[in-house]
Amino acid sequence: MSSVKIHVPVVRLAKLLRTPGGVPVADAVKRAGAGLESLRAECLDELRVTLDQAELCANRANGEYDAAVADELYAIASAAIGVPTACGLAPIDTALVSLADLTDYLRTRKIWDPNAVAVHLRAFRLLLHTEAGKDSNGTKAILEGLRRVSQRYAKPEAAADAKSAAG
Amino acid sequence: MPGVKDSMGLSPDSRARFNLERASVLILEESSMGMSILVQILTGFGAKVLHRAESVEEAQGLVAKVELDLVVADALGPGGEGYDFVSWLRRSRIEPNCFVPVLLTAGHTPGNAVQKARDCGAHFVMTKPLTPITVLERVLWIAREGRRFVECDSYMGPDRRFKNEGVPAGQVGRRRDDLVGDVGEASEPNMEQDSIDGMLKTRRVTL
Repeated sequence: MSSVKIHVPVVRLAKLLRTPGGVPVADAVKRAGAGLESLRAECLDELRVTLDQAELCANRANGEYDAAVADELYAIASAAIGVPTACGLAPIDTALVSLADLTDYLRTRKIWDPNAVAVHLRAFRLLLHTEAGKDSNGTKAILEGLRRVSQRYAKPEAAADAKSAAG
Repeated sequence: MPGVKDSMGLSPDSRARFNLERASVLILEESSMGMSILVQILTGFGAKVLHRAESVEEAQGLVAKVELDLVVADALGPGGEGYDFVSWLRRSRIEPNCFVPVLLTAGHTPGNAVQKARDCGAHFVMTKPLTPITVLERVLWIAREGRRFVECDSYMGPDRRFKNEGVPAGQVGRRRDDLVGDVGEASEPNMEQDSIDGMLKTRRVTL
């Protein structure tokens, strides 16, 4: 039987947080938000580059499963998650999470669904270049549609059905 | 920090104060935009001592050189090198850094990395996108004193059993301190465990 040691280490951070001075929560959140706002232009540039990279990568698949393409597309989508919300385009984050889910399911099952990938990339482009990036009923409908597409591959039996329907 | 709730659910309008000025914070993030986002959030919170690392090697070098109060580490892509970094940190025996609160961030956790994320020894795994209020909630939460640290062959990190929701309904508890007896129907919502813990914990008060 292996031994287990349980102890309570000193957490210096707790003491530092309580030291006099500092900043009220409301001011800190506001200042952090203003800091993120200053990154807006950079974030938008980064998203345009991400979209271009994702489209080029997906085109390389030629409609068939390719492990390298699937891994690369997953890496591109997952690396960009978090950037859209920082520039006020939270719905694009939801689309990227859906694309990362989809590519993770596809590469795990070694299958490819070019239509499912393409619809995500088209939605990404639409949300980035139109006001659809802001929350609206139309945006919600797009995101719900993407979620349904990616979740078709969440379970093995569902993936087999979705693949035969796509093919 | 009187007024700051111990549990998550911090109000963004709260006037409660906290001080991160002297906290030494390591940020591990390979993406330059991800790094900029974290730096903006943490400097907005008043943090002034930020150590930035773009790779695990850089972060390991900093762990060996600098005393840290908080680590914010990204999972670092599909390979999850960030999880491996946290495991290394816990096993490094570089005190006190090996016990430092760690907030792990991840854009997406692939199915094959979930176990790694759970077992790496981070205090909290936070899914991106990050917003200032959620990051602050997690920082205040992981900084709480009194959390037990577990060291064994298969795991080294904070005790993951931080919730005590009691014995499952219809079962008999196996712990010595499990209570038995019939309990009446609840007449109002349950108190949060953190609120109960807060009532039992000795605190300094200003009169």
